[in-house]
Amino acid sequence: MSLLEVRNVSKSYGSGHASVTALSDVSFVLDEGRLLAVLGPSGSGKTTLLSIIAGLLRPTSGQIIIDGKPIHLRSNREAAAFRRSRVGLVFQDHHLVHYLTAKENLLLVPHLSGRIQHQHRELASSLLGEFGLEARANHTPSMLSGGERQRVAIARALMNEPRIMLVDEPTSNLDTERGRQVVEMLSRHISGREMTCVMVTHDPRMAEAADEALHLIDGRVHSADAEGVLASAP
Amino acid sequence: MLPTDILLIHASMIACTPRVTDSANIGTRLLIDARSGMLAVKELLGSKLKFGLIALAIGLVVSLTLLMAAMSEGLLTGMTGAKGSLAGDALVFQGDTYPILERSVLSAEDLQRIASAEGVANSYGIGHVIVSVNSTDEPFDARVFGLGDRFDQLPLVEGDLVSGPGQAVIDVTAKVTGVGIGDTLGLTPIDEELDVVGITEDRQYVMTPAVYVDLPTWERLYLVTALGRMQDAEGHGAPEPELLARQVSGSASIAAVELEEGFTLERLASELGSDFVVVTPEEAALAGNGMPEMVVAIGGIQVVSLAIGALIVGVFSYITTLHKTGQIAAIKALGASNGYVYRQLLVQITLLVPVASAFGLAMTLGASLSMPPTMGLEPQPERWAITLVLVYIMAYLGSLFSLRSILAIDPATALDRAEH
Repeated sequence: MSLLEVRNVSKSYGSGHASVTALSDVSFVLDEGRLLAVLGPSGSGKTTLLSIIAGLLRPTSGQIIIDGKPIHLRSNREAAAFRRSRVGLVFQDHHLVHYLTAKENLLLVPHLSGRIQHQHRELASSLLGEFGLEARANHTPSMLSGGERQRVAIARALMNEPRIMLVDEPTSNLDTERGRQVVEMLSRHISGREMTCVMVTHDPRMAEAADEALHLIDGRVHSADAEGVLASAP
Repeated sequence: MLPTDILLIHASMIACTPRVTDSANIGTRLLIDARSGMLAVKELLGSKLKFGLIALAIGLVVSLTLLMAAMSEGLLTGMTGAKGSLAGDALVFQGDTYPILERSVLSAEDLQRIASAEGVANSYGIGHVIVSVNSTDEPFDARVFGLGDRFDQLPLVEGDLVSGPGQAVIDVTAKVTGVGIGDTLGLTPIDEELDVVGITEDRQYVMTPAVYVDLPTWERLYLVTALGRMQDAEGHGAPEPELLARQVSGSASIAAVELEEGFTLERLASELGSDFVVVTPEEAALAGNGMPEMVVAIGGIQVVSLAIGALIVGVFSYITTLHKTGQIAAIKALGASNGYVYRQLLVQITLLVPVASAFGLAMTLGASLSMPPTMGLEPQPERWAITLVLVYIMAYLGSLFSLRSILAIDPATALDRAEH
């Protein structure tokens, strides 16, 4: 069952002669339980695509359908509510809150949606355990290694049990081995669950752990490495 | 347990209290929102040095503002305490001399005319003369006020009220020159003496202590002083002392009047005509001796110090906001609203200002205790409370500096940058 549909999405900045096209007519479909790696050189439109799917940017044209519902027409307030409830975000440089412990960083997500309840604490402990961080639960980010911070960031993105995870360059600050571990961990977590994941990376080796891959060059889809990614696109 | 849990209990307690109005609840929630509390409190605790310095800076401004309030009160009391506190609904001056107390003279006939005017329930004469006291360790000038039989209006700190000629009640500020109960004040150059029987407070005029005597004593002092002023070095030019004494007899500088119920100052002024000026004691206190200019200057300094406080809070919160732009972008990307981020700042201000106020209060009290009584510092709890409320308001207004920058932070920047 397709969870995410990106239909003919284009994004331009500026107008007239000063107009710059960041994305041009990008389309793909992603099913539940699948991890899509979006590859491409710097400036190819990867992060713009991620921002549009997250509702942080509006496409100039095209549609984003998640769970059969268009999200590209939502107001900023509605888009924020949508991200709180349905989207897990992992930033390139983790953006953990430096004065909160690892566990408190996880609890920040339910905190933004309302009260922190007992089940949220249990889920946070469970996720920290799953990512091998139970001993680090009460450590602040400055006391964690780069890999640990990135794992905390991924665990935080899972706190609202999202339908879609959007991951931006999760391994850019890690060495190859640690980067591979993080991506494999992410892939294992998504596999077989009622969610999907779009991971932006510039590193083709990291894409090996993904189920599918999409290559962007100059804002256009250059190729898809798995059957079905483009085939079923509208 | 996270700090938010404490705040959640607090919020639930608020929810259990009877609902007064929706707007009151909204206001309470705005400031004590449990969801805002977690990050705000954690950040305060996690950056003690930074927020401690901010609190210290705000505390210094609070201290400056409180000191200004205390000094302005002290200055007003020092300049006008004796005049402004005279008991009565109105003071009557000689026409054309208002607001200069030193120039006003009301004859016995004038006082009788005032006393018998329509609407006057009671009246009494008040004499005023400037003397020099040289019998103490430190000679000082004093303002002698002759009061009819209305010494009951003086708040006694020590001793007794005046009960006869030659006795005086003196303001407490004269004590720093060594004056005490039982002392005899030698007045120059008129070779008169006064026995100090009581000490009063908040009774100064033009920054000199007031000395209260009965009207016969004042008459004698006034007469001798006037004769001395009128004659030249060789003793020529003075009128006959007996003639002057007859003129001065039964007179006063001004009159204090208590009006019948419902009778207005305007009606009394109309009744008395242009030979007299009728004003309230408060109006008289704030007129003359450069008081209008002083009041404007003091008010201006207080407003400026409050504005500086707002600016400091504003600049600090603005810099702090700029400093954590990336973090705010990420939190907004995770779904936090602008209101959530701004409330977090408000919670921090709500928690910081009392700490800063405590710093400021301690510094002000320390400063006021280390100053001599002549310094004219007069702490007034109500004015301080108003000042602290104004500091809060200024702090919240200052936070508006940050609101603009919070609104301008694009959550999309958390995803590194938009590629274009």
